[in-house]
Amino acid sequence: MNAMTAETYEQFAVELPGDQIKMHVKNLEFFYGKHKALHGVTLPILNKGVTALIGPSGCGKSTLLRVMNRIYGLYPGQKAVGEVLLDGENILDHKVDVATLRSRVGMVFQKPTPFPMSIYDNVAFGVRLYEGLSKSEMDVRVEESLRKAALWDEVKDKLKQSGLGLSGGQQQRLCVARGIAVRPEVLLLDEPASALDPLSTAKLEETIVELKKEYTIVIVTHNLQQATRVSDNTGFMFLGRLIEFGPTVDLFTAPRAKRTADYIGGRFG
Amino acid sequence: MTTLSTDVVVRRPPKGAALDPFFKILCFTAATTLLAALTGIVVTLAVGGWPAFHKFGLNFFTNTNWNPVTEEFGAAGPIVGTLVTAIMALIFALPLAFGVAVFLVEFCPPILRRPIGIAVELLAGIPSIVYGMWGLFVFAPFFAQYIELPLMAAAPPGSIWETLTTGVPNGDNILTASIILAIMILPYMAAVLRELFLTVPVQLRESGYGMGSTTLEVITSITLPYVRRSAVGAVMLGLGRALGETMAVTFIIGNSHDLPKSLFGAGSTIASTIANEFNEATGEMHTASLIALGLVLFMITFAVLALARALLGADKHS
Repeated sequence: MNAMTAETYEQFAVELPGDQIKMHVKNLEFFYGKHKALHGVTLPILNKGVTALIGPSGCGKSTLLRVMNRIYGLYPGQKAVGEVLLDGENILDHKVDVATLRSRVGMVFQKPTPFPMSIYDNVAFGVRLYEGLSKSEMDVRVEESLRKAALWDEVKDKLKQSGLGLSGGQQQRLCVARGIAVRPEVLLLDEPASALDPLSTAKLEETIVELKKEYTIVIVTHNLQQATRVSDNTGFMFLGRLIEFGPTVDLFTAPRAKRTADYIGGRFG
Repeated sequence: MTTLSTDVVVRRPPKGAALDPFFKILCFTAATTLLAALTGIVVTLAVGGWPAFHKFGLNFFTNTNWNPVTEEFGAAGPIVGTLVTAIMALIFALPLAFGVAVFLVEFCPPILRRPIGIAVELLAGIPSIVYGMWGLFVFAPFFAQYIELPLMAAAPPGSIWETLTTGVPNGDNILTASIILAIMILPYMAAVLRELFLTVPVQLRESGYGMGSTTLEVITSITLPYVRRSAVGAVMLGLGRALGETMAVTFIIGNSHDLPKSLFGAGSTIASTIANEFNEATGEMHTASLIALGLVLFMITFAVLALARALLGADKHS
């Protein structure tokens, strides 16, 4: 495996028309200290659509996601080289304010991470940081966000209770509500359903399909059926490289790279 | 694949099996010895201090006159001195400990993390007599000359400022004792707070940052609420140590049994009073009063530590 060189990876990528691209990753290399985790990844993210990233564990899909809102920057020693264009602006540029960037590019993590505060405050948290809304405007925003995350009916009578008291699936949808309350342009989902039961997963997937009318979504998932159900485009990654990228239907029905075919056919990974 | 052997394995009891009951008894003895020692100390303190409690009653706690010559012993001065110095030390040390912990967890470049961590541990490892000596020979004279005197000179007559700075400007007073105490409890509190901050799940912190929060917002809205009660426990732990600290305080507090009236006034703590007088306590009532003081200190410290312990494990997160 180690003896392989970059030339031995056959790579296929479909080009998207420029006006449909919200975010464009170009020639991205990523380093954990000396270890190189991404080898020149180029990936267009469809505006108001869902882009799924699939691949075996350790292939770099989560790493790629963590570059898109520069959350990796919390850790000294992690470094990204290349370009990630958000509406044409390179977010890796040092002049970009990371806090503002992260309010534009939201993220939901693998495990539900409700903040230690009430359900209402969880949703209002990010909004309070960036907008000076009145109480009534905030009420509207909180309800709207919880509705979009398909959680409103379950929590509308206990908004003042702690977010920690919800079930795992509800907590995760709370995190989605929190993420969309700030009206981000892009929402990054890092295996958002991996800790959820099937019913909660189904609800979350409905939420994602609903959300893509307004938001650009990037989802990392180990669940291939999930990728086919929710995404428009899919990228298959392997050993820090984007092996194949294209419309989800094409990639799953007629994969062009042998590795993609092996992976989705269950022959490895 | 080879076929599995069907030979029956012959087993003997493990060699240590016969020793296990003895081992159990040994451990049990160790544990009960500890309990017995604790009970013994409490009972001895209570019995030894009884004459003082019996004679002075509640006056022992409220009377400010401690006079071995007339055999009148009121412990209000040392008791208040103990509480005041410990609480002031806490007030000085808490922001620093908090800053150290936050820096180590959130900002510290990896290359500095070890040196600062070691410095904190070293600070905790310095024997208290060394702090006391440093306080007496270095800190107190410096404090007297560059802080005490100018502050006293600048005080407008009749103001609270003047009341608070009344005293002999020799550096031996309640305030310097509190500052030395603060330096001593700082490493403990910093270390415990740092451990607490590290218990906050990485993904929770990242979520905070992921919402576009600054470090200050993550600390105040997420980290602190998450460890809230345990953090109070950490503070109590520092307080418990400050209450019982003897040598450093004895050196520098000025040793007066009066109720402390000003920051620059001399005072005493329970521990410093016992350390200073035990050798010279000849009268029965003097000895009994000192032992009674010991019991009071034990009770205060025990209460604080019990509270700390109860709070330290209190943040239950699923």
